[in-house]
Amino acid sequence: MTTIAASRAVNVPEPDQARVRAPALQVAAVRKVYDQLEAIREVTLDVADGEFVSVLGPSGCGKSTLLMMIAGLVDITGGQIVINGTRVRGPRREVGVVFQSPVLLPWRTVMQNVMFPVELLRLPRAEYKARALDLLRMAKIDDFVDMLPRQLSGGMRQRAAICRALVHNPSILLMDEPFSALDAITRDEMAIELLRIWQAHRKTVLFVTHSIREAVLLSDRVLVMDRRPATIIEELTIEIPRPRHIAMTEDESFNRLVRHLRRAIETSHAG
Amino acid sequence: MPANLSRHFTTAFWPTLFTVLGLVVWEVTVRTMGIRSIILPPPSEIFETMVARYDLLLDHLWPSLYLTVLGFLFAVVGGILVAIVITYSEVIRLGFYPVIVVSQVIPKIAIAPLFVVWFGTGTLSSLLLAFLISFFPMTINSAMGFQSVDEDIQRMARTFMGTRWQIFWKIRMPNALPYIFGGMKISITLAIIGVIVAEFVASQEGIGYLIKLAGGLLDTPLMMAAITVLSIAGLALYWLIAVAESRAIYWQPPAEAIGGGG
Repeated sequence: MTTIAASRAVNVPEPDQARVRAPALQVAAVRKVYDQLEAIREVTLDVADGEFVSVLGPSGCGKSTLLMMIAGLVDITGGQIVINGTRVRGPRREVGVVFQSPVLLPWRTVMQNVMFPVELLRLPRAEYKARALDLLRMAKIDDFVDMLPRQLSGGMRQRAAICRALVHNPSILLMDEPFSALDAITRDEMAIELLRIWQAHRKTVLFVTHSIREAVLLSDRVLVMDRRPATIIEELTIEIPRPRHIAMTEDESFNRLVRHLRRAIETSHAG
Repeated sequence: MPANLSRHFTTAFWPTLFTVLGLVVWEVTVRTMGIRSIILPPPSEIFETMVARYDLLLDHLWPSLYLTVLGFLFAVVGGILVAIVITYSEVIRLGFYPVIVVSQVIPKIAIAPLFVVWFGTGTLSSLLLAFLISFFPMTINSAMGFQSVDEDIQRMARTFMGTRWQIFWKIRMPNALPYIFGGMKISITLAIIGVIVAEFVASQEGIGYLIKLAGGLLDTPLMMAAITVLSIAGLALYWLIAVAESRAIYWQPPAEAIGGGG
């Protein structure tokens, strides 16, 4: 386990190398039908332990629905979702979710918001408070622990939300377009911050986005989802070395991957 | 603090000026036109009456105030409890809640004589009318507060497997607080109306009784003194709630505070 993690830090694994390990998350032939309206047609995907996978797609393609189903917040119509060997039937302790908006409770300070999962899950407070502080420090908002959400900028609020999703030490982090409400500059900054936190904690991440650039910058692997039918049409392994930087987005290899993904989306729309 | 103080000063300055100006115009008009005080006493005479007969006014103010506050408190507690039931019981929400809302078309004041028939001319009628009239806005506002929790917040809490109990105390209750205070501000003024009307109809004491009595004696200065005392008391009660609100709902900037609620 440690050797794999160590080798991963230096080198991005080959796709088949990732497959060898038991997947942390398995989505098998999952379908979702709302009142005869097909929201998702047969999605199958695996995410290996410690892998960062993005689901990329246009808005309305069902990628958020997929994430909510994995989080156990939305029922599935067919197929199955398995996390760490057990089937998902509802929300699970080993999952942390970051939503599109920060969803902080306005009457709680940053620290109280981050400690919210600890309260709900009845975990030992003192122990997790130290962990919360570590996370807040890593997210660079430890100077604002006693402030209320309305006193923070949008980026800082989303940082707090990420800390909240990680405080109870989940093994899987689900992120639903977490940076889409932020301005472009803050967005890039947050992506790099997220990578830094991810590098330190090595969670399995499933990241939903409609930004091709963001997907390439962050992920080990990108899955392209399309609407009508809502299914995965393309899979691409991103072999850019880690740690990654914003400067890499100007590299030719980076842009080749972005172009490849764009073409995949466009072709499917043309056809 | 000094900046805060000066801001309060400027917001209070113009309304105070206009009030004083209005009183001066009133005083001068009454005096120059020789309007008899039985029709419209000047402010100075009302003030003199308040000073001269303060013990009479206070004797009648206390029972009214006591019943107002008591009826209001029952309405607050009852309204919040009923709102909780409405929030958690689908049967009540779909069956009973619309009835409550539609029953709002009944002018509660019209029920006052009926209450006298049922509960006699004592304090019970006043108390019940104060309760009844202030109970509805309390219920409706609180129910709205408990139910208006942002969908994303509910989802977020579900991902951490929050129990109903946890979600009620940690999310629904604080979410409802601004609405509850909005309801309280409406209810306290209504509770006063309820008590006064009940005292008009049937009572041997209270400010409502005193106003009616003074009216019968054509003692207009006393009537207006009683009305003034009542207004001051009402304002004080409203102010107490507003202060409690700004303390309790510390997370809202003052400008955004929900004033009227629903």
